[in-house]
Parts: sequence; structure tokens; C-alpha cells
Amino acid sequence: MNHRGGWALIKRSWASWLQYRSFFFVLAFGWMIPPLIYLFVWTTASEPAPIAGLTPPQFVAYYLVLILVNQLTFAQTNWTVGDVIRMGSLNSWLLKPMSPLYNAIASEVAGKIVMMAFVVPVSIILAIVLRPELTTTPTQVVLCCVALSSAWLLRFFWGLWLACLAFWATRADALLALQDALIFLLAGVVAPVALLPSAMQTIARVLPFYYMVGFPVEVLTGQLASSEVATGFVIQAAWLIVAVVLYRLVWRSGLKRYSAIGG
Amino acid sequence: MTNSQIQVNHLVKTYQVPVREGGLRAALRSFARRQYDTVEAVRDVSFSIEPGEIVGFIGPNGAGKTTTLKMLAGLLHPTSGEVRVADHVPWERRPEFLRTISMVLGNKSQLIWDIPALDTYRVLGEIYHLTSTAYQQQLDELVELLDMRELLTKPVRNLSLGERMKCELVAGLLHRPQVIFLDEPTLGLDISMQGRLRRFVLDYNQRHGATVILTSHYMADVVALCPRVMLIHHGRLLYDGGLADLAARLAPFKLIRVGLSNGHTDFSPPSGVEILQHEDDHLELRVARAAAPAIMAQLLNTLPVIDLVVEDPPIEAVIDQIYQEGAAVLKTAEPPTGASEEGAL
Repeated sequence: MNHRGGWALIKRSWASWLQYRSFFFVLAFGWMIPPLIYLFVWTTASEPAPIAGLTPPQFVAYYLVLILVNQLTFAQTNWTVGDVIRMGSLNSWLLKPMSPLYNAIASEVAGKIVMMAFVVPVSIILAIVLRPELTTTPTQVVLCCVALSSAWLLRFFWGLWLACLAFWATRADALLALQDALIFLLAGVVAPVALLPSAMQTIARVLPFYYMVGFPVEVLTGQLASSEVATGFVIQAAWLIVAVVLYRLVWRSGLKRYSAIGG
Repeated sequence: MTNSQIQVNHLVKTYQVPVREGGLRAALRSFARRQYDTVEAVRDVSFSIEPGEIVGFIGPNGAGKTTTLKMLAGLLHPTSGEVRVADHVPWERRPEFLRTISMVLGNKSQLIWDIPALDTYRVLGEIYHLTSTAYQQQLDELVELLDMRELLTKPVRNLSLGERMKCELVAGLLHRPQVIFLDEPTLGLDISMQGRLRRFVLDYNQRHGATVILTSHYMADVVALCPRVMLIHHGRLLYDGGLADLAARLAPFKLIRVGLSNGHTDFSPPSGVEILQHEDDHLELRVARAAAPAIMAQLLNTLPVIDLVVEDPPIEAVIDQIYQEGAAVLKTAEPPTGASEEGAL
């Protein structure tokens, strides 16, 4: 492994992405819009009486945390790695004495840092204006950090294996749009998963998408019983393993195919 | 094995080119059941290159040049055959191997568009684990040779094509590779920039004894840089040897330009002479190489000649002839004495 080169790459990507900070700010703003809309929908809806035990300030807290979690875990690699494969600049990655995974990690980390410079201040302003109510314990904070890290890894590797489908099909990015739609529906964006119809709720708690966004949010806001938290971690870890295995399989056979038919 | 820097034996590359229509449905279908056409891009190519050689790799578009280079650089896995570059099997892509080679593609950039090239170089220095002294020294040397210090700090997108190519070369050579693959390095550059890059490649080769394989469609590149050329056509190595020999072998004729004294416009060609051009008192003739002396003597005796020039046909014309007519030209051409035969040296 070439950590020295990888670290330099992260710093460079960050510097280069700072050049397009306004682009990232607009992008980050775009990603904030759907959760913000549902924040207002649910706070208004829960004004007469709490819905599923959540009051308006608790909905505000849920969605503000969700905005942060969504931004932190968003899988840019879907697009950056996919483009690199599609546009043929993968060659220059492969010619370097360094694992191409570093390139994906570099753009991921660099992008996150640039976007946080926008998202954190905006979230603080929203929190001041909208007055969320969040009661949480130190244990929940720690558990949320763990859940958030695995959520990020899960979404990263999940995005990566999907991105690697670009080795086979140039229009594979259509699948990425499908993935975004599933996250919107099943990960707790359109509504907290507990509010979904029971069949959808079951599906949501089995599929990986909830564990990319909704799960760490609910761990922090204390909406889950401890047994649910424990089960959640097991399912999340299982999906993470699946994602890593899928990534390795797809990457390897994709690369084999790439070196067989040329980029 | 010999101490050749590059050793290629019976290299074959057969492409499976996917055939499918666009669209998501076709994409999904092609996951399950793929359909292919077979293209023989490289057929049984063998050669070896010694350390420090500069070899020109020429051939028409789609001849298999880039495919061969990609196999040598480890980007493509051959269908069959053996390759060793700097004592490594390229497609294993070992870090030690990747640190010894470099591939510069004239039509692809490895620089980041929106930041100065210097930032990219710093990262490359780290990726190749250069010490800061080595990094500075190697960067300074390249910058000096290419006379480009003022370009280092400008965002790449503000550079002209020629300036960008200079930056690409620095990026490719910063780690001081021993084997360099240059694919169309002068593509789209103006004449003086082409000349400058040629001198640079030659300088670099002489300083560091690096082995260079260069592909180019500009014959001036090949003439200026490559004592040895390899000509590939339809995936076959048709010729491997000196450029002058290639011309002699392919174009067994000479061009004779004759100026006649005032007003003398009558000319009936002796047998074996082909008139390429006849304008007033200027003639351009093509004659068989062997017959040239006799025909010149005859011209001098029978015509009021005031000027006479004998030339070899331009290399472009020779190359064009092969590109158009393919292997047949080489087969019918008589090999000159002493010229190396095709295949391994």
C-alpha cells in the first residue's frame, strides 16, 4: 500500500476541489432540499398531535441530523469513479504505483471536507431558527459515531461497486439514479422509517439503504430500543461486508475485462 | 534472457469488441449475455529493444501501435505471447515495474484542469516516493530542458496545447523512468513546438540513457529521433530496421528534377522514365533506382540541361504507399544488402 501517495492525493484533490467550492456549495444545497421539504411537511403535520411519538421540534432535530448524515455519507464515488472508467482516464490511475482505490477515497474525503464548510454553518443557522429538541445520552452519541462511520463505509463501497458497473455498460449510471430513489424512499428521507406502511417498513429494515442514512440518525435521536440498535448494527455490518465483497469482485473482474478489451 | 530492456515474443492481441445497442435495456441484457466481434489487433509480433534505444513505431491509424504500447505498459493483457519490460511482466503491474516506466499520451491528460501543474507534480513526487532533494533536482532539470518555469504556477486550463504538452512530459518523466512510451507526443502542435519537444526527447534520452518508444504520424518526429523504426500494419510487424533502408527498400526509384534552358519545352521521355510533372522548361521524372545514372547521362547528352537534382522520394510518400497498399509493397520490394529482415534482430 502506498499511503504516502494516497495522502498527497487527498490533499491535492481537496485543493483542486476548493477551486470549485461554489459548485459544491450549490450541489450540497441541492442535496439539502428534499430533507428540508420533508422537515417542513412533518413539522406542520405533527403540530396538532405528535406523529409516532414525535413532536414538531423532534422532527426538526431528526431532519437536521439527517441532513448532516446524508451529506457525510453521500457517495460521490458513484459519479467520479464511474466517469473515470467511462471517459478512459482510468489508464493514468493504473499506470501509477498506487492502488486506484486511493483515487476514489481522495475524491470522497476531499469532497466531504469542502461540502462540510457549507453544510455545517447552514445547519447551525437552521437549528437556531427552527429550535430542534434533541435529548440524547453520551452513549447514544458514541453509538451514533460508530453507526455513522459504518454508514459512510457502506455507502462508499456500495457506490463503488455500482460505479464499477461502468466497466460493462456505459449507461449503468441509470442504476445509480435508481439507487438514489431507493435511498429517498427507504432510508428515512421522505419520512422516518417508523412512519412507513408496515410492509415497506419491513423492506426498509432489511435492505441496505436505511443503514446508510436513517439508522445513525435514529441511534442519535433515541428513537430505537436497545434491541433494535443491536440488530441494526448486525444488519449494517452484514451489508458492509456484502458491499466490500461485491466491490472487490466487480472491480477485479471489471479490471480483467478492461485489460482484455482496452479502455 | 538477454539484457534487452524490452523483449517481445510472438505477441498476439485479439480484441473481443462488444456489440450491443445503446440504452438501459441493452445494458442489462449485455450483463447476462454478451455478444462480441473478434478483432485481431496484434498478430505475432516479436522484437527486442536495447537499453537507451529510441525506436519509432509507425503505422496507419488502427494498425495496432497503441495496443502494443498498452501491452508493454501493462494496461492490456495479451491474448498470447511473452513480454518482458525492464525484467518485469508488464500486466502484473508491480509497483517496482510501474516506477520504471512512463506512458505519455498526446491525446490524454493526467494533469488536473483547474490547478497549477506544480500541485500535480508534488503529488507525483509523493506517489513515486521521491526524496525532496531528488524531486526538486529532477523537476528543475526537466523545467530547464523544456524552458517552462513560468508555466508551473498557472492553472492548466489557461495553458495552450503546446504548453500543456510540456507539462505532461514533466509529469511523465518526473520519476525518471527508464522506459518511456510516447504516444503521439506532438499531436496538434505547431512546427517550432514540435521541434522543441523532439530536441527535449533526444536530450533526455542522451542524459539518462532511457529507452524510448515513440509513435507519431509526423514523419519529421521519426526522422529526427529514431535511428530505428518498426512499421506495423494490420497488426503485423512489417519492417524493423533503419529508416533509410526502409525507404530504399520500398521506393526503388529516384526523383529527378530537370531545368532546361530558355524556351526548350519539347521532351519525349526515354523508356523507363515516368513524367510526374512537365511545366514549360521544368521536368520532374521518376526512374528506377538502378537506371538513374544511365538516364541522367542520357538527359545531359540530349537536352540543354541547366539544372539537375536527384532526390529520394519523400519519406511521407513512401509511408503512404505502405499504408495504402500494405504488406504487398514490402514483399515485392527487393531488400537492399545489409538491411535487417523483419522480426527479431
